[in-house]
Amino acid sequence: MSISLPTYTRREMPLLGRRHRVRAIITTGLRREFKRPAVLVVIGIGVGVTIITSIVVVLFAGVFLQGQPLDLSFFFTPASNGAILFFVTLMASVVGSALIADDLQSMALTLYLSRPITEGDYLAAKAAILAPMISMIAVFPLVLTPLVAALLGSFSWTIALEAIGLSFLIGSLFTAFYTAATLALSSLTRRKSYAAAGVFALTFGLTIPAEILAGPPFNNPAVLYASPWENYLAVARAAFGATGAPIDWRWSLAILLAATAIAALATYLRMKFVEVVSG
Amino acid sequence: MLVETKNLTKVFGEVRAVDDLTVAIPEGAIGLVGPNGAGKTTFLRLLLSLLQPTAGTAKVLGRDILDGVPLRERIGYMPEHDCLIPDMTGVGLVAFMGRVSGLDADSAIGRAHDVLQFVGVEEERYRKVAEYSTGMKQKVKLAQSMVHDPQLYIFDEPTTGLDPRGRTEMLDLVRAIASSPGRNVILSSHLLPDVETICKYVVILDGGHQIAAGDLHDLLTGAADRLRIDIRGDHEAFAQRLRETGFEAEAGPTGVHVGRRPGVEAEVFQAARALGAEVRYMGREIRSLEEFFLELVARNEGKGA
Amino acid sequence: MTGVVEAAGISKWYGEVLGLNGFSASFGPGITGLVGPNGAGKSTLFKLLIGQLHPDQGTLRLLGENPWNNVPVKRRLGYCPEHNTLYGWLTGQQFVEALLRLDGMPRSQAEKAAEDALKLVGLSSAAQRPTRTYSRGMRQRAKLAQALAHRPEILILDEPLSGADPLARVQILRTISEFAKAGGHVLMSTHVLYEIERVTNNIVLINNGKAIASGDIRSIRALIDEHPHAVRLETPQPRQLAQALARMDHIVSLEIPEDEALLIRTRKPDAFYRELPAIVADTRLEVRSLESPDDSLDAVFRYLVG
Repeated sequence: MSISLPTYTRREMPLLGRRHRVRAIITTGLRREFKRPAVLVVIGIGVGVTIITSIVVVLFAGVFLQGQPLDLSFFFTPASNGAILFFVTLMASVVGSALIADDLQSMALTLYLSRPITEGDYLAAKAAILAPMISMIAVFPLVLTPLVAALLGSFSWTIALEAIGLSFLIGSLFTAFYTAATLALSSLTRRKSYAAAGVFALTFGLTIPAEILAGPPFNNPAVLYASPWENYLAVARAAFGATGAPIDWRWSLAILLAATAIAALATYLRMKFVEVVSG
Repeated sequence: MLVETKNLTKVFGEVRAVDDLTVAIPEGAIGLVGPNGAGKTTFLRLLLSLLQPTAGTAKVLGRDILDGVPLRERIGYMPEHDCLIPDMTGVGLVAFMGRVSGLDADSAIGRAHDVLQFVGVEEERYRKVAEYSTGMKQKVKLAQSMVHDPQLYIFDEPTTGLDPRGRTEMLDLVRAIASSPGRNVILSSHLLPDVETICKYVVILDGGHQIAAGDLHDLLTGAADRLRIDIRGDHEAFAQRLRETGFEAEAGPTGVHVGRRPGVEAEVFQAARALGAEVRYMGREIRSLEEFFLELVARNEGKGA
Repeated sequence: MTGVVEAAGISKWYGEVLGLNGFSASFGPGITGLVGPNGAGKSTLFKLLIGQLHPDQGTLRLLGENPWNNVPVKRRLGYCPEHNTLYGWLTGQQFVEALLRLDGMPRSQAEKAAEDALKLVGLSSAAQRPTRTYSRGMRQRAKLAQALAHRPEILILDEPLSGADPLARVQILRTISEFAKAGGHVLMSTHVLYEIERVTNNIVLINNGKAIASGDIRSIRALIDEHPHAVRLETPQPRQLAQALARMDHIVSLEIPEDEALLIRTRKPDAFYRELPAIVADTRLEVRSLESPDDSLDAVFRYLVG
């Protein structure tokens, strides 16, 4: 390979603004994710399972949920579908754990930050890659279920529309929390496997012991505040007007919002202070 | 002025990596040299606005470094370390970086192909970067620094890991860029002869301070005008013969050094013929950048800086 | 001809991948530079020399012995790998000492030998700091110290200057030169050709698994017929000088690239240099400077490897 005639052409056109640059990161990132078989499988199975189970519950409400009035509070049931927790965790670890960790591992972060964007832009872009993927499981099925229920005639449109709106809100809350938490974990390590393990620990490591300690023989419901899933359930219960909450939804909401904000801030600070260049 | 700093300081804990640095670097091809720990990398990171200064101010291309984003639109950075995204193709990565710098999608792809051609990456550009050889990776690193056609290029050890042919190719590329009108280059390297062949102006750092800066030619030209002659034959006898004919000559490890006066060149050949020696090199004695640098650092250490 | 290293028809494959393919060379005493493109077989050669690998074909002799499975000969060699990560938590002194004791040296002796070696490479002041705090140049010197500490007969160095700052480079080259002056042998590989030229004229050029040239740089250069040797002379009378030099029948071409310069190409550089002083002295033409851009390892490498 030789350099015969160094043709060095100059660029005359002006540069596009920051929004375009961030959008470039997002679209390229999403395109790369959708090329991965693992991602497609998780989406396919995750969305499929969550939707199918929710719709089955709607169809056979009379069988599965005896004594449950067919009003707004019904929609708490699909919202509390454990498959959501499982597949959101899976999605967060398959997609999210590598988002920042890989850039730290390959040190491509230097290239990003040497571009005319800020750390905040970089983080916003990464969040905008992860959040849609998670919301495919945390929001989409939840929003689809009342729609299907209304189309089938099981519920009135008034209730259904209210359910759709509320589902969107609480699904987004859950998505925001997991996006922020996963990115925070991803920014702490070069190895995406550690970050992925962290996501699983966050979900099951907190939820399972909390649920055990909350029930007999320990009977300490306050422990449930430690579990993101239980906090989400408390808020969902309150939103849909369902009864039987072991913990106060106001505290749960506050905890989820605070945790999301703290995770986002921690990630931002980490980006600002990480030693981008070695040696 | 390419770079102007005033009392620029960066402190990491107890270490004053850049200490009260005040420099004025003109446009053109600039060499940045210094021993390890001199603060070169920290200085470059400050210029790129990748780090915030602890104290002092700096302007690059007339813009304050605190305003990082508009500054980085005009700078292309080729880091020393590995930094490529392994699962992207060469052209994909360069085009992507172009878009992150603000090029629109079509221009980005077009420019990416152009710069990859310029640096000498042919069909490999369609393969994933993870499969590239070291030389190819360095070329892609160079390409991504060029894609948005910046005014200032910062090259940090561009020839690391390259074999002799790769080194020559890379230095030719750097030289081509440096000699392009309206484009500036800061070349940071431990290989001083490389800096010598490419840069016109050099900044020497040590311990976070600037210990010398100036036009390379001016810095290196000895005050006394002397000739260095490399002969195959008896150096001492040769020097003696020149002294006998009235020139001041001395034999050293790198040849015979003689004070330049009219007629000395002709005498050199006469002496060679008489002694049966071969003249293999005769030229102006200019100190190399390396000699100058080592002397300077030794002097600086002596000052207890 | 008893070279320090003698390789005859060495081949080594990694499955299908080429390591060495019929490599034959003999390097004598003193410092020898091993030069070649990436992937040419340099690391394979080193691993064969230190007995880590066994050739698939051919014979290899290091200091007269087969290095494979040969512990005594390993005592006589010091090796610096390219790899740059040391045991970060050990100090420089501990690092060199530990390797000496692995060699079988008793503790007190090892401590002294390590100190001496570190002094030789200029790391005495940093010897008590953990190696993870070392710069690249210091790590290269630490590696060199461990290679020297047991007073080997031959040093085998893989890219000993890579990443080192100018001060470290000078120090390392100086240490190598002094080692050779004291009677040691050195085989070192590097990509920065002008640095090899500083310490030795003996090289082995390796490409595609074979040795394509070995010996003195100048003799190799003289043998490369297809590329006549270029010499550039600065003179205010280029045409007259050209006429005078045209008499030499080994001159291939005469060119006047600038007003006051003459570029000649000759097939026999030795003859040219021998005859030039007489011609200049007789014609009394003014020659201000003389240099040959060809007389370098870089030129040789370019012509042979491309």
